[in-house]
Amino acid sequence: MTALATDPRRPGIARPAVLVYRDVRKLYGAFVALNGVSMAVHKGEVVCLIGPSGSGKSTLLRCTNALETINGGEILFDGAALPADETAARHVRRRMGMVFQNFELFPHKTALENVAIGPLTVLRARPADAAAKAQALLDKVGLASKAASYPANLSGGQQQRVAIARALAMEPEVMLFDEPTSALDPETIGEVLSVMKILAEEGMTMVVVTHEMTFARRVADWVVVFEEGAIIEQGPPEQIFEAPRVERTRSFLSHLGWAG
Amino acid sequence: MTYDWSVIWQYRAAFADGTAMTFLLAVLTMAIAVPGGIVLALLRLSRSSAIAGASTALVEFFRNLPLILLVYWAFYVMPMVIEIELSPFATGLTALALNVTAYNSETFRAGINSIRRGQTEAALALGMSRAQAMRVVVFPQAWRRVLPVLASTWVSLFKDTSLVSVIAVGELAHVAMEIRSQTFRVLEVLTAMGALYWLLGYPQAKLADWIHRKFGVTE
Repeated sequence: MTALATDPRRPGIARPAVLVYRDVRKLYGAFVALNGVSMAVHKGEVVCLIGPSGSGKSTLLRCTNALETINGGEILFDGAALPADETAARHVRRRMGMVFQNFELFPHKTALENVAIGPLTVLRARPADAAAKAQALLDKVGLASKAASYPANLSGGQQQRVAIARALAMEPEVMLFDEPTSALDPETIGEVLSVMKILAEEGMTMVVVTHEMTFARRVADWVVVFEEGAIIEQGPPEQIFEAPRVERTRSFLSHLGWAG
Repeated sequence: MTYDWSVIWQYRAAFADGTAMTFLLAVLTMAIAVPGGIVLALLRLSRSSAIAGASTALVEFFRNLPLILLVYWAFYVMPMVIEIELSPFATGLTALALNVTAYNSETFRAGINSIRRGQTEAALALGMSRAQAMRVVVFPQAWRRVLPVLASTWVSLFKDTSLVSVIAVGELAHVAMEIRSQTFRVLEVLTAMGALYWLLGYPQAKLADWIHRKFGVTE
């Protein structure tokens, strides 16, 4: 059985749940992408979702900010079920930050403009305020000097750090990371992970789909293992990485060369 | 065979008027066909299949008819069907605009579709509406890809305006044919007409090439 929200080993348990998933199902035609997923993310927690490609981790993230609609069960954000209609979904998305595998920076805008665009268009911030905030966020991710650069002139790691700053500019209550380092050259993965680690230390609530097991082991408060659209095991990182209770967790980790 | 090139100089005012009319037709056609093409492209990308289907049908109908047929149709059939008598100029403009709007619609649709879905999703994830995502993220990027194609369409259109000469619109080709029938200087007049189209068209084509180089997207 999977450990549930009452697990006493979970440090975030005393804090309110930001996200609650109850028996979430998602179908793409006949393909079952999520087959009854139940889990919770508490305020200030870093929850890492791991598992083989195509196991439903990214789908869960995309359903979380309503880029995809679910076919069954429910997702509660801050106590309220995700709305089905587009206008209401927008208000929810404003409160969540999302970081994509392929960065998805806007190539026709500079780094600074990319970071400022959310507050400018969505929150109707004053241009001077949005620019000042964007500059501060670029500083935070270590890219103050790249404000005027276009994405095409930035390395993958730099682009992903700008993308993180862009999401942070909306002052989200939770950050969703969809394989943030999977498209990066090995030498730039570290700089992105360290920005994420700083966010975690600041108490940001984070849901991270990742194949970076070292990161999950060190930074996660809670690790959820997916396989074929379902959770096969969840628990604190010590359990998942040192003493998995499910054989398939063990074999997945050993495939990745995780020695334990 | 003797040549008499003096007729060209003699009719220089008429040639100038015809040239001006050719430009006017091409400019007005584009002025209609660019916004028209955008509207049809957006309708075609609509989530309502009825709207998308109607727009697709319209585009495919006008895109796949010979322009000369459209010109004749607008001249002879349209007045009977919708009972509006238009001047030859307005009739010719209608035919050109229908054809080029259909082409532009495809150009805009391809441009919009060429922007990765992830770009829209990134915009939505920030809390933008679909309209904002289009306006702020998709259109500015699509525009760079569309502009070179529009430039090529313009170069074709500039020459294709000559087709409306068959319904007596006084543009360059029609003027030339008139002068020919008055002077019987076929070779001189056709040569002059060709020279004018070429001299006007060549810099436009070069400009289009430059736009291709400047705006061509490398990703």
